[in-house]
Amino acid sequence: MSAEKKDDSLQREQSAASGEGPEERREEPERVIETAKPPGFFVERDPEIIAVSRRTLQNWTRRDLLFFGAGVAATIVGGGFLLPQDTLARLGIHGNTNPPGKERFLNHAIDVDDDVAEALYSKNRMVPTYSKSDITFLKNNYNGATPGPDYIPGWRLTLEGLASGLSVSLDIQSLLTHFPQHQQITRLVCVEGWSAIAWWSGLRWSDLLRAYPPVAGAKWARVDSSVNLDGDGNPDPYYMSLDLATAEHPQTLLATHYNGEPLTVEHGAPLRLLAPMKLGLKNVKAITRIAYSAERPRDYWAERGYSHYDGV
Amino acid sequence: MAFQREKALEVKIGKQASGFETPIASNNERTVMPVTHPKVETKASDVVRVERRHHLLVRWAHWLNVPILLGLVLSGISIYWASPVYQHKPDPQTRNTDYVADAGVWITANVPGLHHYKSPPDWVYNHFSLGTFLLAPALRLHWFFAYLFMLNGLLYVAGLWLGGGWRALFPRRSDVRDSLSMMRYYLGVPLTLVLRRKRKHPPHTTKYNALQRLAYLSVPVAGVLAIATGWAIHKPMQLPWLAAIFGGYDTARIWHFWLMWFFIVFAIPHIILVIADGWDTLRSMVTGWSIKAARADELQGR
Repeated sequence: MSAEKKDDSLQREQSAASGEGPEERREEPERVIETAKPPGFFVERDPEIIAVSRRTLQNWTRRDLLFFGAGVAATIVGGGFLLPQDTLARLGIHGNTNPPGKERFLNHAIDVDDDVAEALYSKNRMVPTYSKSDITFLKNNYNGATPGPDYIPGWRLTLEGLASGLSVSLDIQSLLTHFPQHQQITRLVCVEGWSAIAWWSGLRWSDLLRAYPPVAGAKWARVDSSVNLDGDGNPDPYYMSLDLATAEHPQTLLATHYNGEPLTVEHGAPLRLLAPMKLGLKNVKAITRIAYSAERPRDYWAERGYSHYDGV
Repeated sequence: MAFQREKALEVKIGKQASGFETPIASNNERTVMPVTHPKVETKASDVVRVERRHHLLVRWAHWLNVPILLGLVLSGISIYWASPVYQHKPDPQTRNTDYVADAGVWITANVPGLHHYKSPPDWVYNHFSLGTFLLAPALRLHWFFAYLFMLNGLLYVAGLWLGGGWRALFPRRSDVRDSLSMMRYYLGVPLTLVLRRKRKHPPHTTKYNALQRLAYLSVPVAGVLAIATGWAIHKPMQLPWLAAIFGGYDTARIWHFWLMWFFIVFAIPHIILVIADGWDTLRSMVTGWSIKAARADELQGR
């Protein structure tokens, strides 16, 4: 467009802004200014400028600021509702700040994440495996004291909730001799954030499921370690719920060996769960009992505010 | 009713006072018409020209990000406490391995008035996170805010699309030179304040200057990366390819940690500059319109 036209439009713009334009100009029909070519798809558009009465603008501002203030107030109240009691206490807010709705709300939020995790999980997807040179140190992360070793000689695995209706008790020798051994080098991920790559071997849980089928309609397994201890060394039985879809995964082992050696008490001798598609807290050490059920069993860490599903 | 009448006063560019519409609403050339309404007599001095600057969805997303990112950072640092990414060999005296705990010990030892703080290693965590020994509540809040952050990101993208604002964020060829002159300007600001001199802001005819474009485009990019690295460390077994993009599980955690710092480092000059820029700029993110921008547009004779 020519400079002349540009001047013209500028003049009119100024006269419009000042409101002192000559009368005849106002009565002129609108001049159509055509662009040479439409701007490209990615070209920034000119700002949209509107003329609006001062009062309207004041009303808009009042309305928007009121909405904004209400949003800020709602956020502060909502934040106060959601924060842990310890955090609020440090902020100087004491008293009972744990209404029952809070737990329910946060549990619901974590259930959403569990549903996503369950939808992501596939029995046919193998977790990454590593070579021996990738192996890293795996610390003993027993939450309490490390049990044993006096429980080991008399150790037996009890199976309950079987199709036969019987309770089966197995010793480590029969587990080692009656089931094929499998090994894998996989990463174990802890809920705390650290992880370790280790070489495991043991029997597949799916083989045990085939040998001792669970009761019809069973969807869950409860895995117990009755020898678990708390921080002071007192008995603190550990219980964990696991969905059978995970138990049937070919990389879910009932491990008997760690880095080529029989499990030590630090790593859950003589039999531990190794389900690398679950967080470490599901990988129960020193298993003493497995019980199948149709209903979701209790879970030690879920009762302490962690997720039920814990899929990684 | 009064509100409706006032709303009718709003006259869009390209519309005549008489109510005709211009046949072609051009993008490059705009004409401004006297803003009188046939039914309501208004004095020109009662009429203000404002620029519609931020789409409603962009404003919503912008302000929702404040509590969401705050919640993600606070809960994230509480999660970090459980297993710090950066650790050293255990201290012979305290058995401590965490650099953040070291920082707390240093702060309580050297900042006046903090000598009697009851647990020096927790000082940073007690002031910049939910606190220590709160992994379970921190994880629940982190997932809660993370899902909100993802939904909010979709809201923002929708707002960018509907408002056409995405075009204003895209870098252009002149940005290298322009961002250098903007940087020269910002670096000179403290000096001009000391000397009480006025300095001319480098001119720009676009919605944002080159540095703003860089900053505001990097936020959604960092948001996408934060979400991607978050999923990579949340589901490393189901999404191993995602962790692999970022160099594996452990490296993805480091990415995720530093992406948090991006948002913190972004927010500091962001807040300082909006305060320096004044009420009109801050208000435009609440109400959507800006007087200053419209005036600048006038002065540039566009």
